[in-house]
Amino acid sequence: MIGGILVRATVLGCVIGILGFGEDNNLVDGVTFPRDAAVVAEKLEELEAGKLIEELEELIERLRGKGYTTFVFERPKIAQAVQEKLEVEVRIESITEAGEVLRGNMGKLAVELGFLEDEAELAGWIHEVSMELTRRRVRRATEKRDLVVVQTIQMIDDSEKTLNLFMNRVREWYGLHFPELNRLVEKHETYARLVSKLGRRENFTPENLMKEGIPEERASRMAEAAVRSVGAELQDVDIEKIRMLCGEILKLYRVKSTLEEYLRELMDEVAPNISALAGATLGARLIALAGGLDNLAKMPASTVQVLGAEKALFRSLKTGSRPPKHGVIFQHSLIHGSKRWLRGKIARLLAGKLAIAARTDSFSGKFIGDRLREDLERRVREIREKYPKPKPKPAVRARRRLARRRK
Amino acid sequence: MEVEVRSHPEFPGIYEVTLEDGSTRLATRNLAPGRVVYGEKLITYEGVEYRLWDPYRSKLAAAILKGLEVVPIKPGCRVLYLGAASGTTASHVSDIIGEGGHVYCVEFAPRAIRELLNNVCRFRLNMSPILADARLPSGYSTLVGKVDVIYCDIAQPEQAKILADNARLYLKRDGWIMLAIKARSIDVTKEPKELYEREIKTLKKNNFEVKEVIRLEPYEKDHVMVTAEYKG
Ligand SMILES: C[S@@+](CC[C@H](N)C(=O)[O-])C[C@H]1O[C@@H](n2cnc3c(N)ncnc32)[C@H](O)[C@@H]1O
Repeated sequence: MIGGILVRATVLGCVIGILGFGEDNNLVDGVTFPRDAAVVAEKLEELEAGKLIEELEELIERLRGKGYTTFVFERPKIAQAVQEKLEVEVRIESITEAGEVLRGNMGKLAVELGFLEDEAELAGWIHEVSMELTRRRVRRATEKRDLVVVQTIQMIDDSEKTLNLFMNRVREWYGLHFPELNRLVEKHETYARLVSKLGRRENFTPENLMKEGIPEERASRMAEAAVRSVGAELQDVDIEKIRMLCGEILKLYRVKSTLEEYLRELMDEVAPNISALAGATLGARLIALAGGLDNLAKMPASTVQVLGAEKALFRSLKTGSRPPKHGVIFQHSLIHGSKRWLRGKIARLLAGKLAIAARTDSFSGKFIGDRLREDLERRVREIREKYPKPKPKPAVRARRRLARRRK
Repeated sequence: MEVEVRSHPEFPGIYEVTLEDGSTRLATRNLAPGRVVYGEKLITYEGVEYRLWDPYRSKLAAAILKGLEVVPIKPGCRVLYLGAASGTTASHVSDIIGEGGHVYCVEFAPRAIRELLNNVCRFRLNMSPILADARLPSGYSTLVGKVDVIYCDIAQPEQAKILADNARLYLKRDGWIMLAIKARSIDVTKEPKELYEREIKTLKKNNFEVKEVIRLEPYEKDHVMVTAEYKG
């Protein structure tokens, strides 16, 4: 304080440097940045994160030398950093008068501080800095998201395995009481839900079952089986434990479906083109097998085609058996839904498209997924029309080829 | 018929093109000759290259064709563009304002802005890409100064409020705003008309004088473009 009066300065950062404004909102001092957009982008990022950069420290020192004791900031994080490190009085105001002056006169102030020769240069400078800043932020925002995809799909697969393990146990356990249910309900989740909701087999009445969404005809078949069951009369405490277990299993099913939804969103962001071609789940498996999106993008189509079939591939290399035609991409409906003799051709085609999709996702982020998908479907139709029947056995052809060579 | 290009009778920086088949299209003068942004057609006329401006892809073009009386975006203007996506409309804004103007492009989807950066801003020195959330306008105060126009197309609930918050920091007095309101993304259950009105009320409460409300059918379903002057 000078003569008992609080002397306030407003301190603001911008593309030209750190500027200090006095009580009357006129520029009193400023420390300018170097004219290097990459350096400035980095400094602005640090400032944003609440780090004390040298220009800010220097300006505060100089302003203190001029008698200023209280410093006003528009950004809370910066105010906090200054208060902690430099031990001065700070205030936060979201819109300051000085800020209005700065935003309205950035070009003029830049010239006044000797940062620019001419106001007209400001726009070009902002362009340069914003390009650098945005490049950095995009890199940070997309960094490692593909590895989040990898963890998510692996967790989904782990849940699936765990659920299978648990459900096999539950079916055997509850089977002591109502063995016939095992064959009547194929879907694990439905089985768990019915046991959890209904408990003892006496409760498997048509009405109760229909309330659980079982169609009438099936419901009456199940109810009949319950009445005629050859299972043991377990005690209520025994049944309660199984019900509780089923309740927990159902929760895990919900976790799994939440993760699947999350994976779809993630894939739309991380790899929209792969996702459009192969779906989120298969796409994520490919990324996981490759060890990340960038790795997948570097693979030739022939490697993508057999990703996940490594065992078969090594076997073929060692023993000379036939190499695998496809790895996990077999899970694609266009392959497993096609005739056996077409699968190799379609796998090659799909792998080619996936390689393009992976490169696009990894390098440019442009969306060409619907075009790739249409193209894929058209080509698959052509293949199906062209090869309605399996070709002759390779053994026969090999013999023919040998015969030709001998001639 | 010969292709012919002439200045728009009312709006500087905007052109009308008559094509071989006699149809008329909007266009802007290409600030980055030879470069296409979203697959639009390029036309060279008397040594100058123009980009056709597709009203089915750009709500600003749609509003102009639907009879907007004032287009506040003019040569030399500074524009804050909220929700620039990959730059379909923003690139035409860049053409209109020309080398003397500047457009700050705020977009929060990293993928979209990456495309904007690599395919558009790189070739246009009057465009600055900003990866940021328009709901937090102070987040870009180190880059953006006062502007003449804020163009807002972010398909968010409370767009008008977000726009007002941005105006308080960045819009000059007597500056203009253009707001594209997509009814369905704000509240699917209400009648579109009600929704425009709610947003317009918010604008009025925040010192905007609403000038025009233009429906964008048939180019965009359930959309209006609102223009207003800032008396803040
Ligand atoms: C309808 S699109 C804009 C299309 C663009 N105006 C054009 O005509 O070329 C809406 C965009 O706003 C972006 N967006 C939505 N909310 C946002 C926010 N809070 N901050 C920044 N961008 C946002 C979306 O990511 C999306 O790219």
